[in-house]
Amino acid sequence: MLIDRRALSLAVPAAALVACLTVGPAAAKDTGLIFVSNEKSNNLIVIDPKTYKVIKDIKTSRRPRDMHFSVDRSKLYVACGDDDVIDILDVAKLEVIGRIPTGPSPETFAIDEVKRRIYVANEEGSSLSIIDMDQAITIHEVPTGAEPEGVYVAEDGKTLYVTSEVGDLIHLVDAEGGHVLQDVVVGTRPRRFAATPDRKELWVTAELSGEVYIIDRAKFEVSGKIEFLPPGMRKSDVTPVGLAMTKDGKTAFVTLGHAAHVAVVDVPTRRITSYILVGKRSWGVTLSRDERTMFVANGFGDDITVIDVNSRKATISIPVGRIPWGVIIDD
Amino acid sequence: MMPRGMLSSMMPRGMMSSLLSLLWVRPCRGLGLLPPPERIFARRGGWGGGRLLAQRAPHPLPTARKSSREEGSHPRLGLFAALSAAVLASSTQIAVAQTPPPPPAPQPRVTIGYVDIAGDPRHEPIKAYERIVLKPRESPFAGAQVGMDEAQALSRVLKIDFALERITVKSAQEVTPAVTQALERGIHFFIVDAPAEAFRPLATAVRGREVLLFNATAPDDWLRRDLCAREIVHTLPSLAMTSDALMQHLVSRKWRDILVLQGPLPADAATTKAFENSVKKFGARIIANRPFKAGTDPREREQNNPLLLTAGTRDYDVIFIADDAFEFARQVPYQTVRPRPLVGAIDLEPVGWHWTWEHNGAPQINTRFNRASGGRRMESADWAAWIAVKMVVQATLRTRSAEFDKQRAFILSDTGFDGYKGLAVSVRRWDQQVRQAVFLATPSAVIASAPIEGFLHRTNTLDSLGDDEPETPCKLNK
Repeated sequence: MLIDRRALSLAVPAAALVACLTVGPAAAKDTGLIFVSNEKSNNLIVIDPKTYKVIKDIKTSRRPRDMHFSVDRSKLYVACGDDDVIDILDVAKLEVIGRIPTGPSPETFAIDEVKRRIYVANEEGSSLSIIDMDQAITIHEVPTGAEPEGVYVAEDGKTLYVTSEVGDLIHLVDAEGGHVLQDVVVGTRPRRFAATPDRKELWVTAELSGEVYIIDRAKFEVSGKIEFLPPGMRKSDVTPVGLAMTKDGKTAFVTLGHAAHVAVVDVPTRRITSYILVGKRSWGVTLSRDERTMFVANGFGDDITVIDVNSRKATISIPVGRIPWGVIIDD
Repeated sequence: MMPRGMLSSMMPRGMMSSLLSLLWVRPCRGLGLLPPPERIFARRGGWGGGRLLAQRAPHPLPTARKSSREEGSHPRLGLFAALSAAVLASSTQIAVAQTPPPPPAPQPRVTIGYVDIAGDPRHEPIKAYERIVLKPRESPFAGAQVGMDEAQALSRVLKIDFALERITVKSAQEVTPAVTQALERGIHFFIVDAPAEAFRPLATAVRGREVLLFNATAPDDWLRRDLCAREIVHTLPSLAMTSDALMQHLVSRKWRDILVLQGPLPADAATTKAFENSVKKFGARIIANRPFKAGTDPREREQNNPLLLTAGTRDYDVIFIADDAFEFARQVPYQTVRPRPLVGAIDLEPVGWHWTWEHNGAPQINTRFNRASGGRRMESADWAAWIAVKMVVQATLRTRSAEFDKQRAFILSDTGFDGYKGLAVSVRRWDQQVRQAVFLATPSAVIASAPIEGFLHRTNTLDSLGDDEPETPCKLNK
């Protein structure tokens, strides 16, 4: 759908002013609501945390994928790959209240609330956009290897890490200057990150080589890797993508894509302790705040799997939209 | 696509303002502080130097992809312009690569030669008799270019440059001297875009030399079975592979009784032979094989009338048609005496790549290819040229070396490469065919990807397609 930009730009100040007076995001906190982005049906499915019933279906821009809350959790940002925007959702009202333009095909992103910056990997643009959240403008376009995906902002906000799926690279990027400082080569098609709470290690999934690479952040080099093979699966089906780590830094959960399992890894020893059966093309994985429940988006099952973390067992699966990508919880 | 502006002028006012109310509210805080609408570009030093873009907040609704570049009010468009300029620049470099490049490269360089034949009839569009293009067939050079573009980010890390040199000769006979001359100049990798016949003298001339030739366009089984040269890697699926893929799908549907319609060309005979082998391999049955001949001569109606060609046999589940010229096949659907689907040359074709594949990152490579080729859809040979470049680049990356021996050993090892079609592709030890998935595609969808679920293999299900080790006379790398 195309809109005349000239007409719009004239109308922007007035509309923004009106919006400012009337549409201020209402306060919302700890609703416990579960949000699932669905790539193909262009919506977010909102699920009640107690009954696991779908309570709302929110239409978004096309191909919603990665999601992040603002620090006060009043807003949810959703990267929408086919419209080159990040949609902004009012969490209290459960409706889209605005959009931020990005580069071509935004997939995952990270928010630095202190600097008021959004860092977005533009899958088809081979670039990382650094966006000023308040003005909704792109202040840097950082050229990356082809198909950038995972983005992780260092705790001090000075640097960030970006994967290039085609380049098999992790770029270390200067967040201020907006340029690549260093690269490290990892396995085939690196996807997402998780950092250990001691800030020493960065874990990254390598989808096609079926591994997790561990990067020593001080030296910025590969310090280890973990290979996965659930019983009865073929190596070629093992395509790790999603990563979640407990707050104590002891356990990591890795979704294995087409192998339809989540691997449970003991972080200090880097040993795989168990595999949990989930649906096909499992990607997005999220832990509840109390870390008792875990949610996995099954892209080729059009559902999410709810896992009881203590018993390491799937308890229920909930049908959502078409090709669910990720899950995020307002808790 | 609707022209820009049309929608807003069509929209009632109320709708426009309700759309505007969707506007993000955050900018209102700093409303007076928005930067002036002009853009500032500043280049930082080194590779990946960020381009500083500051500009007026663009409108917050979905933007038009096909906006006019001269307007240039969007950061992404600026990036596009820069990227396409970079692509142009790199392709210019490729074009002039045959004359020595102006500044001597400070770091080692891995060059891939792309040898093709001027006016190759295989890359000419298939036309109906009055110039209507039925099938655009193009040189897969753009596939190799995309692979080269992807490698550029790595050359910085590796401190090794990658280059693609196009060597266009006048005839198939000149392919061999062109390759041997370039080999003398230190090029070890070649994508050979030539018909199968060109490979026989070529294989003889380079036997035992430090060279790896990628066959990206010839599907002929005899190249893999009989010529069987250790200097050749076949990246295009063989006829045996594509017909096995088709047969797996038919058998999985339980469409086992098949009527074959065979065209007059040698290529049709080769396709039919491969198909007959697959029929045997997967336990299907050929009800009848009817040769056809395109034309309107009433005396030859038994051969040129689809109704007569498809009648007078016992019942069949599906019609297989071998028609490289495509002229006849396009007239057969819905002209058959029984309501049966067609497979082979039309309707359901086994292909190495299809522009509608949506998994394994395929949409991204399709988009990159589309952009690099000036709007073309990626096809099997494009994929075969692209993966050849990718294999060389990966070999360089993983061995951290520009030495041919190491690179060759890596390519021919069991290592898998990311072919964007599911299971990792790799080189079969015995005949150096690249094992890979084969798509069964209609003009607008991939219906299935072979190996079809349920067809198993003791080591790699991909080897259920085409010549497995015990089946081929070719025994390389034993």
